[in-house]
Amino acid sequence: MHPIFVLFKKSVLLFARNKAAVLITFLVPVVMIALFGFVFGLYKNVDKGPGGIGLAVVNLSTEPAASDLVEALKLEKTFRVITTTNHADGTKRPLTEADVRAAIHNNRYRFALVLPADMIPKDGFGIHLKFLSDPRNEVETQIVNGILQKTIFSRVPQLLGQSLQHQSKRYLGDARFETFNRTMADTVAATYGGDAEKIYQRMIAGDFGFGSLTQAPSSASPAPGSTPLAPGSSPADIFSRVARIETEQLVGKKVSNPMASRLVGGYAIMFLMFALSGSATSLFEEKRSGIFQRVLSAPVRFSHILWARFLFGVALGTLQLSALFLAGKVLFGIELFSYAVPLLALIVVAAAACTAFGMLLAAISSSPEMAMGLANLLVLVMCAVGGAWFPVSLMPAFIQQFSKLTLVYWSVEGFTSILWAGHTFMEILPTLGILAAFATGVMAFAVWCFKRSSMFD
Amino acid sequence: MLALRSVTKRYGSITALDNVSLDIAPGEFFGLLGPNGAGKSTLMSLAAGLRAPDSGDVLFAGAPLSRVNLAARRVLGLVPQTIALYTDLTAEQNLRLFGQLYGIRGKDLQARIDEALESVQLADRRHSAVKTFSGGMQRRLNLVASLLHRPKILLCDEPTVGIDPQSRNAIFDYLERLNREGLTIIYSTHYMEEAERLCSRIGVIDHGKILALGSLSELLTQLPFEDEIVFPETPATATFAAQLTSHGQLSTAEGTHRFRPQPGHPLSTFFADAEKTGVATRLFEIQRPTLEAVFLHLTGRKLRD
Repeated sequence: MHPIFVLFKKSVLLFARNKAAVLITFLVPVVMIALFGFVFGLYKNVDKGPGGIGLAVVNLSTEPAASDLVEALKLEKTFRVITTTNHADGTKRPLTEADVRAAIHNNRYRFALVLPADMIPKDGFGIHLKFLSDPRNEVETQIVNGILQKTIFSRVPQLLGQSLQHQSKRYLGDARFETFNRTMADTVAATYGGDAEKIYQRMIAGDFGFGSLTQAPSSASPAPGSTPLAPGSSPADIFSRVARIETEQLVGKKVSNPMASRLVGGYAIMFLMFALSGSATSLFEEKRSGIFQRVLSAPVRFSHILWARFLFGVALGTLQLSALFLAGKVLFGIELFSYAVPLLALIVVAAAACTAFGMLLAAISSSPEMAMGLANLLVLVMCAVGGAWFPVSLMPAFIQQFSKLTLVYWSVEGFTSILWAGHTFMEILPTLGILAAFATGVMAFAVWCFKRSSMFD
Repeated sequence: MLALRSVTKRYGSITALDNVSLDIAPGEFFGLLGPNGAGKSTLMSLAAGLRAPDSGDVLFAGAPLSRVNLAARRVLGLVPQTIALYTDLTAEQNLRLFGQLYGIRGKDLQARIDEALESVQLADRRHSAVKTFSGGMQRRLNLVASLLHRPKILLCDEPTVGIDPQSRNAIFDYLERLNREGLTIIYSTHYMEEAERLCSRIGVIDHGKILALGSLSELLTQLPFEDEIVFPETPATATFAAQLTSHGQLSTAEGTHRFRPQPGHPLSTFFADAEKTGVATRLFEIQRPTLEAVFLHLTGRKLRD
């Protein structure tokens, strides 16, 4: 056999025996592609899109069109529409504006649409809505804005029709208003055909057929002989002049660099996990060199080795995260010192959780190569589903549930709560507790695995 | 001082040690001789308390030795087979670290480090990273790192693997000196020359069993011959060699005859027969039997097979 083929065969054999290399070469990219597919909706015929971004809707209007708008929002799969809350006794009641303001501050959801009682004013023309938000995530916020605009403006013609009817009623009086509508309905029925009573009912409901203006495909070519709409004069633009949407950002208004404040936490935790996984896998080097034999022949228990390594990981992680956040302050002007106490507390518990994760990888792996392969796979997957790169809300529901099992999710939530929403130590205490519990549980499991592994034999 | 009582240790289906019993007396230089995979390292790790036996007992000064018996560890020193040092750290940093693990501090620790480095001629390299050392230097440092706490018993697991003869002799001299000063040493090796030179008592181990135990001379008496006579395989010696088979064991390989006379067949008779057949006596070389022959006799295999 030619030497080239002999050496080629050798490379194939070595690659096949290296499980970590196989894992990184095939499994990691496939998993990542699958996750990105979920986020960007690349799956055909399978509804694996976002499981629903929480959107609270407070409907204070009595207009039928308001209820129609709420129903239309519910049909949008991008949204998980919330309209009620629970009383203390467990019974449900409709949300109020005060409810949603508090919930947005507490990060239970980040967007709310209020349909006020004067949504369709009795004494004017147009519609009025109120949009409340916590735009802590740029991508998620843009998606919500886009879908909300589409849904609202597709309903604007009907809403405007109702507004016209109100105006007519005010100027004509009840009797003349009904006569006018009846006459119009009869004329339309006589001229174009159809049931005059049904046409009358649609007119009463404000349906003048304007909806076709916004339901036409946006990419459709203008009909022959027609004049295309000038830029800025699309149906949505026309309606936007009569639809007044009052927006209010409830959280993060004082953040000096919103984009950096949102991103720094996620990326910091990703780099920390890579660093600490690498550090933990150095245990294999100490085993291979026989240092554990020497150390354990001294008055030292293997638990001493593990806890020393854990402490080192926490110290290194704390230092690394602090350095990354300081770099964020120097480079992007992120405010840190106002939040020093909660931020430092979160840095320490996040470092502890990441260290425990690295220790567990070393405990369940049989070689450093396997540990690094697993680290690459799990760190990337956890960053993807945990919200370090893109919003968790863009994931399918089952992945959103899974994301809450990752330390990345809670770390990112914690850092964003501090740097974006300005939460205090007491406010992030639940997040600190979850991360501390994660660190404790994972470390305890790692110690249990180490006891059963050959690491210290 | 150290005793193994019917100790068995298995790794899955492999029995690394099979019902081994052994007593090491204070001040002894005990050699554990066997090929790779014989069970030497397993026995050393049990003796160091790194592993627990599946059955039987390992006793130190009459008390069971285990991972949790930290007090016993203070009088044990282990020289691992590998260079168990942090090679990015300096020689002195390594010694300081391992000394501190035994609770040695301050001036006492510094004095012991100085003494250790002097004793293995590494004092002038104390601030050099261990990775810059030659293999022999690393081995010497590996040895003294196990002695900082002044153990009463030193377990050396093949401590001279892969080093040059000069460094090996330096280590031998150092170990012999320590033994003369009263240190008990258990020394595992697959080099019979090392066991023959160093050890006052030798255990021959193979497939997890101690096959023979005793001083070198005691082991040699287990052989069915006292001497081995070596002479060249030539046409002139062919007739004489053929006659020898009725007086002992003759093996021929690579142009050399090896004759092991039966007990009761004196050398004088051998040489008289040689003269009668006209073979010059200058062709004969009498060799004292070695541990290699003992191992071959006990196992039917050479030590390095």
